[in-house]
Amino acid sequence: MTQIPIDLHPDDEVVAEFNSATTVRTWYHYVLLIGAALFAAVSVGFVGTIFWSSLPVWLHHGVTLLTGTGWIGPAGPFGGVPMITGTLETSIIALALAVVIGLGTSIAIVFFIPRRIRNVVATLVELLAAVPSVVYGIWGLIVIAPWMAVTVDPWLNSWPFAKVIFGNPGQQFGGSLLLASVVLGIMILPTFVAISREVISVVPQDLIEASLSLGATRWQVIRNIVLPTAKIGLYGATFLSLARATGETIAVALVAGGVANAQFHLLYPGTSIAAWIALTFGESQGNEIAALMALGVLLMLLNFGFSLISRALVNRQRKLLAIV
Amino acid sequence: MSDIVELEDSMESGHEMRDEIRRISHRTHARRVAVSRTMVALCSVALLIAAVPLVFLLWELIKQGAPQLNKAFFTTLPSTPTLIAPNATGGVSNAIVGTIALTIYASILAIPLGVLVGVYLAETESKMATSLRIIAQTMAGAPSILMGLFAFSFVVHDLNIGFSAIAGSFALAVLMLPVIVISSEIAIRNVPNSLREAGLALGAKPHKVSMRIVLPTALSGIVTGTLLAISRAVGETAPVLLVIGGGFINAWQPFNPVSALPLAIYQGARSQWPSQRAQVWGIALVLVAFVFVLSLTARIWATRKQQVRN
Repeated sequence: MTQIPIDLHPDDEVVAEFNSATTVRTWYHYVLLIGAALFAAVSVGFVGTIFWSSLPVWLHHGVTLLTGTGWIGPAGPFGGVPMITGTLETSIIALALAVVIGLGTSIAIVFFIPRRIRNVVATLVELLAAVPSVVYGIWGLIVIAPWMAVTVDPWLNSWPFAKVIFGNPGQQFGGSLLLASVVLGIMILPTFVAISREVISVVPQDLIEASLSLGATRWQVIRNIVLPTAKIGLYGATFLSLARATGETIAVALVAGGVANAQFHLLYPGTSIAAWIALTFGESQGNEIAALMALGVLLMLLNFGFSLISRALVNRQRKLLAIV
Repeated sequence: MSDIVELEDSMESGHEMRDEIRRISHRTHARRVAVSRTMVALCSVALLIAAVPLVFLLWELIKQGAPQLNKAFFTTLPSTPTLIAPNATGGVSNAIVGTIALTIYASILAIPLGVLVGVYLAETESKMATSLRIIAQTMAGAPSILMGLFAFSFVVHDLNIGFSAIAGSFALAVLMLPVIVISSEIAIRNVPNSLREAGLALGAKPHKVSMRIVLPTALSGIVTGTLLAISRAVGETAPVLLVIGGGFINAWQPFNPVSALPLAIYQGARSQWPSQRAQVWGIALVLVAFVFVLSLTARIWATRKQQVRN
């Protein structure tokens, strides 16, 4: 018997020939490639243009922008601290509100309400997300602000030590950081609910039924099975909501008061990065435009950072459940 | 914890263990059920609290917005109230014309490219496709004000076109693009591979398979995504605020400054005239109605097609 030699490593030429025979490159592939390249160019241009326009300010006023507190256009100084702290403060309070209410809402939608009206409720929550930002803004400014000034603010200030957190500016009917946080919380609620609902509803039914059959109550199942299984995905939903909150512009521009104050008290007016750009861009020129672009770069870094963290977490959750 | 220790101590025989479990279960039953009921109630309260803003918002919109709507509201140009005529706000025809123009130009810029990139992402597996996908997902969540800064730097400043409808459309197109890319990729990936292979086996060229088989099958998904992108773009204020220029005439030409509904709301809300602050509710009602119709159409379309396929 002669052994027939089997070549396990065919010539590169043969492989190349095979590949070119199966994947025919027609004009169609080139059209697709051009489209993809154009999209890549738009994205690179998006980041590049904003960064490039802000370069003069980073070079000459970079330190002031990150540590200064006064903003005087058009020549400077351009202190970004009030905007940065305002963004973080309003976003984090909004996030706390949205997570507490949103988690309960998602659990109720997935487990407690009848299947028949579940779709209706889900649609309503999605409609909340579709309402334009500016409509939330006028609602907050015209309806919520006077109501808060009369009922909520005095109540908050009746607490001992409340001044430390809220400050006591007296009764005022305009915007404040607290109002901005509340409106932001309402606005990011649908984002959080949409993702957390999805994450919770894909928790394997076997686990839930096994736990129920061992005599666990509904809450024990949720507390000990559903939430731990969905944990990473819920963190993802939280970070995505945070990304949304940092980027929200017009509503905050209308309800935060639009004052670049370097203070933390929640009842005083303030501003955020995005809102400050919207409020001052129209009247600014020269270096101030570049300074606003530099604020835009900061906003982009914050937003993209939170988005990417969220994406990584949600992907990890997907892989996790694929294994379970 | 103490329950478990108790359990381990008394594990002499199966019967004893079973009785022990029953005893603990009975003892804790009332407490566990009470906690569970409370938490279920709290979650339901959270759901109600989440629904409250939508109800109040819609109520306020209809109550304050509906009286503002009349023929003059839709057909006449805005005018500035004066001390003699404090209620002479005029209509918002310029904003309606501007919004329609902005939406059409932005759709022309964004939809073909978005679908093309969606096809590319669905049909190729490469490093570039993966990174484009991550870019699209990140861009989809980018703050809309940044699109305005981009359009200002690039269209208004670098290309020297000035404040114009095309600059606003450019900003809105950048906003819509990633949404269309992502939704068309998903729609195209959902087309069964057997359909593609059947087409290729019959000798059709790849572009024929895409145009005649894949895209028509994926059409409903693509349309849904596009409608959602449009409904988001129509309501955006921040990007257009920086670049469209505004103006009090019925302009629609690409290189003219135009107005838009969200911009009219933003400016009216900051007005010193009570009549103009009241009028914004009318504009908001029109805008919200339009956006709701678009997103409900998209949703109904998506579910109906799903049922047909199942």
